[in-house]
Amino acid sequence: MTPEELSYTSDHEWVRLNEDGNAVFGITYYAQDALGDIVYVSLPSVGEELKAGTSCGEVESTKSVSDLFAPIDGTVVATNADLEASPELINSSPYFNGWLVEIEPDVPQQIDELLSSADYNALINKA
Amino acid sequence: MATQSADLLRTPLFSRHQELGAKCADFGGWEMPIEYSGAVAEHGAVRSRVGIFDVSHMGKLRITGPGAISALNSIVASDLAKIGNGQAQYSMLCNEQGGVVDDFIIYRFTEDNVFIIPNATNATEVFQLLRNALPSGISIENLHNEYGIIAIQGPLAGNVLGRMGLPLDCDYMNWLQADVDGETVIICRTGYTGETGFELVAPVVVLQQLWDRAIYCAAEVDGIPAGLGARDILRTEMGYPLHGQDISPTISPLEAKISWAVGWDKPDFTGRANLQATRAHGAARKRVALKAIGRGIPRAHMDVYSDLELSNKIGEITSGTFSPTLKEGIALALVDSEHDKDQSMFIDVRGKALECANVSLPFIAASPK
Repeated sequence: MTPEELSYTSDHEWVRLNEDGNAVFGITYYAQDALGDIVYVSLPSVGEELKAGTSCGEVESTKSVSDLFAPIDGTVVATNADLEASPELINSSPYFNGWLVEIEPDVPQQIDELLSSADYNALINKA
Repeated sequence: MATQSADLLRTPLFSRHQELGAKCADFGGWEMPIEYSGAVAEHGAVRSRVGIFDVSHMGKLRITGPGAISALNSIVASDLAKIGNGQAQYSMLCNEQGGVVDDFIIYRFTEDNVFIIPNATNATEVFQLLRNALPSGISIENLHNEYGIIAIQGPLAGNVLGRMGLPLDCDYMNWLQADVDGETVIICRTGYTGETGFELVAPVVVLQQLWDRAIYCAAEVDGIPAGLGARDILRTEMGYPLHGQDISPTISPLEAKISWAVGWDKPDFTGRANLQATRAHGAARKRVALKAIGRGIPRAHMDVYSDLELSNKIGEITSGTFSPTLKEGIALALVDSEHDKDQSMFIDVRGKALECANVSLPFIAASPK
């Protein structure tokens, strides 16, 4: 449930570094499971500059709403357009089809400071 | 996300819910299944096929004695003279101010024998208030833990009952009895979903086998267990009030627009004088049904405004959710009666104005009858 090749935040988001240097992020399996059926997603606009740790959108389920936080500093280059019609992709495929935002990192090294899958597993097992 | 289970009550079906992988949470002091496979899938099963709910947390009270029905009729707000033996009625107990202490279904066995299913949280209070208000010679028993309740809801509910070998020849808001292993089970054509449905009120000794049979027979027609998360969405789509949110000790049936359930012609019931006065002047606030025009989900306690700038507050959401049927946000709200009902209203969704249309209930095309 926690792919080893990804990096994680304590806000239950994952980050994948692409070969072209861009980073993609989404929410973890644990996060979507805790939220339940996701019915709305609000994402930042392309071109928007994100600051790590600040709110950049919302993920809302039948039960509750959760803020989306930028995992690292960067500029939004794409968002997952499929989620507007099918937000449930986040539930069925949180690490692939349910990706949220692609950014061009300001400082790619910020990704190295995030949690490893082992660190993240330790975090959620403690909860 | 660990659930704190200390001090929470559990129904006799709790181990079944665990085996089915339910996510459980505190619901009025009871550790109840909120969802199994997911609230949206469970909602869909009830609307298109059938869902099985454990609602054993709800109260069970029995009132017996000569003239029990007429004694009760001078306390509760509905008119019990309108139902005969084998029938059920939606009713409520008001306080002297006209607020709602609890709403419930009353089942008439005979004029001397009545059964009431109050809400879980209010069951003890209703029991005590009725015990104090009923005359001597009429006795009331609190059977909260003696009976469980399984709700079978959806267009295939009758099909499932038939597969279970239970009788189902019963009109809406009527009930009948069946023998299960020597125990008497009450089968009611009632529910809280807006679909055809039955509620089985059964002694706890046969509850687990009834649940297992219901789950097995429902599975044969692609029915699934459903949790209280789906139930809340289903009832909100119908506009059915939930006590503690849409009605409460400080929200009257006139404000909540359920005065159709009040027996205005009765000489007496608790709260009658104040309710009659309010009825004559008109209530200061009224329930409205709101459908989101933009993207967003209204939630209970969000404020309602008459303007896009969110400067003129006119009320508050009492229940709000995402309707999987409509794929839109829906809400019940209490707003100032003076507000022009044809004007748009705006909900403050975390600082953003969500425009809503004032619509009539139910939100969706469904009927339990």
